[in-house]
Amino acid sequence: MLDAFLAGAHQVFAFDTLTYMLIGSVAGIIAAAIPGFTVTMAIILTLPLTFAMEPLQGVSVMLSVYVGGYTGGLISAALLGIPGTPSSVATTFDAFPMARKGEPGRALSLGIWASFFGTVISTIVLIVAAPPLALIAVKLGPWEYFALIVFALTIVASLVGNSLIRGLIAGVIGLGIATIGPDPMMGKSRLTFDTDLLMPGLPFLVVLIGIFAISQLLSEVEIHGKKTNQALIPDVIDFKTWKVMREVLMAPVNLFRSSMIGVLIGALPGAGGSIANLLAYDQAKRSSKNPEKFGEGCADGVVASEAGNSATAGGGLIPMIALGIPGSAVDAILMASLMVHGISVGPRLIMDHADLAYGMFIAMIVSSLMMLVVCVASMRLFLRVTDIPKQFIVPTVIICCVIGAFALNNRVTDLYLLGIIGLVGYGLKSLDYPLAPLVLGVILGPIAETNLRRALMSDPDWTTFFTRPISAILLAAALLSVIFSVRSILKMRKKNRPATDEQDGD
Amino acid sequence: MFRKIAVAAGLMAAAFAAPAQAQSYPEKPIEFIVPWGPGGGSDTLMRIVAQGLTEETGQAVPVINMPGVGGNVGLAEFAKRPADGYTISQIHEGLLVSNQTGITELNWDSFIPVALVASSPQYLTLSKNDNFSNFEELVAYAKAHPGAVRAGVTLGGIPHVHIAMIEEAMGLQFSYVGYTDTGERIRALMGGNIDIAIGDISSAKQFVDNGDLIYAAVGTEERTDDAPDVPTLKELGMDAELVITRGVVLPKGTPQETVDALEAHIEKVMQREDVIKLMKNAGADPVFYGQEKYSAYLDKLNATIAKLVGKLEG
Repeated sequence: MLDAFLAGAHQVFAFDTLTYMLIGSVAGIIAAAIPGFTVTMAIILTLPLTFAMEPLQGVSVMLSVYVGGYTGGLISAALLGIPGTPSSVATTFDAFPMARKGEPGRALSLGIWASFFGTVISTIVLIVAAPPLALIAVKLGPWEYFALIVFALTIVASLVGNSLIRGLIAGVIGLGIATIGPDPMMGKSRLTFDTDLLMPGLPFLVVLIGIFAISQLLSEVEIHGKKTNQALIPDVIDFKTWKVMREVLMAPVNLFRSSMIGVLIGALPGAGGSIANLLAYDQAKRSSKNPEKFGEGCADGVVASEAGNSATAGGGLIPMIALGIPGSAVDAILMASLMVHGISVGPRLIMDHADLAYGMFIAMIVSSLMMLVVCVASMRLFLRVTDIPKQFIVPTVIICCVIGAFALNNRVTDLYLLGIIGLVGYGLKSLDYPLAPLVLGVILGPIAETNLRRALMSDPDWTTFFTRPISAILLAAALLSVIFSVRSILKMRKKNRPATDEQDGD
Repeated sequence: MFRKIAVAAGLMAAAFAAPAQAQSYPEKPIEFIVPWGPGGGSDTLMRIVAQGLTEETGQAVPVINMPGVGGNVGLAEFAKRPADGYTISQIHEGLLVSNQTGITELNWDSFIPVALVASSPQYLTLSKNDNFSNFEELVAYAKAHPGAVRAGVTLGGIPHVHIAMIEEAMGLQFSYVGYTDTGERIRALMGGNIDIAIGDISSAKQFVDNGDLIYAAVGTEERTDDAPDVPTLKELGMDAELVITRGVVLPKGTPQETVDALEAHIEKVMQREDVIKLMKNAGADPVFYGQEKYSAYLDKLNATIAKLVGKLEG
């Protein structure tokens, strides 16, 4: 075992491997920071380059892109209020208000440290507990997945903003959007009205960019329309890197809980960073003593959302290293890179290619350190973004969004969709509809539908949902979650009513 | 050096006479529309072919992924491109099935099949269970318990056709559960959420070697080198071929010289040792069928699928 460990370490710590990894880390961070460009895209672009490398070298470089990518999304989330990747939706909730309040340096530092610790915690779990966790993850059937998604849908309660009714409507719109296009089981067209525009459905990334990026950019223009020369965040910037590290570590419960949510969601094949990001945020808000501070620049919110998404990196590797089953699209690409080298990733990977498995563990830790160094060293550079006058930055980001949306599937119709969805998003935002529940509906809708149909095809008896223990527990958790949310919303309303005259639609 | 001269000569000749154009083909980059998402079987294999074509012709062959609606979005776009040989694309059995089930109007004969390049043998794969552990036992159990065996398939896709072929030949009745890709199906087999599925070497061999899954039969003419102990369906008394093949196509109306030139280039690509090795590693058999043989293959397959289409709906 020690031999294999040393062999793996020897390969990872080679000069050229480390150099490539550093480039990969920077590339991952930049790709993720640009709204519309995803980590998956960056890794696909890396794939052909790894054909010429040694297997472990290639995988290490891809892991550095991967880890960097889970952090990069933070940058645009904090500075522009636009999630840089689908996994940083919840990051915008608190990091952006914090930056707007004049603490962009602190918001970035918090997110970077949370990402770092999240990745490290997930790697440790991966090393110690991969085999048993992977076995559980594989045993879960469509019943458990459906129950998990039902539970995840209850997060909407945490995301509703000012009005429960408007939040629920937004969630339903999201679920509705997800039904447009080919159905996930048979590929039959639904609600496409025989138009080329709707035939391929509304791709999730296009909805995400349209809803968050376009609407956010339009409101930038609106808010400061008179003073066009102003930068997005005008104040002086303070980083407090080490102070923030202590701040993150001083809230170990939040950090650990969020990381574990990330690991577990990541280990489930088919779930992913976007769900972990929102779920970790939701759980942090619920267990906080001051839930009303969330959404206004609360440090716990930033830490939870960033630790949650970064921890899915290690979590996703659990089923891959233990069983040879990819936990996410990125893991599938990692496996493809090993496959062209003639290494089949399977249940005997740790036995047959121990040096590779250990090398990947080492590469994960090295990648997270590199991410940390790169981010801390270049934070000042990122913050320059906030100095650029808005008339330059808004069009630039819009162009990036458009390119990213096109690059996803190379379809021109996606760009029309992007424009339409952007306007709808802006309209909803202006009417004070929260956008996060809508996106959550788009993420969860297809997974829920697929697994519900699959469950009923496997076993027409619907009581199976309640007789399988894990499924029953998750459904009970969903019920409790709803009861808890309704109670706390009622309590809040009681507390607020005498103080404010706000007229809510509900 | 010689290539440069040839290109220059070709350019000059092209100015005078159109037929000579084919000899210089390609004289600029060729766009390769892969109508599937990145990272999948088609994408990996076609990137290998594209790489080989680049080295063979000296022209860049950028792969452009246009996924959506079972390959239909990319192929619909491809059909609109000029038929000059500078946009090529790829099809597999799934297109024929989508056509028969009414998902798309396009079929294999909407394009010019140029060359079949990769063939992936498909294996009937069983989960570890108490009721059957080989083909004969599966048939006996399924006969005794109609509808009890759960088969994981892509509904209305090629794995569905493959299972339906076995069902029909053996007079069985399975119940179908929809899974969209092979990875998902293998995962469900491992977790015991389904009983049988179609798998291939790249997705399932490791699990078979480890004793987690069982290859019950392979759908090729002869036993494969990868799994020599697995009987063919033919040996088991069933006349059916279960393979997924991938080939390069051009739009209708492309000049015959260009088609021939591309065919010749691909034939050379498929003789390259690096291409052969990469494809084998990716779990497919590198093969080469030229225009005629490829068309004949697709025609025959189309008839088989048309016969089974009733089983695929609903």
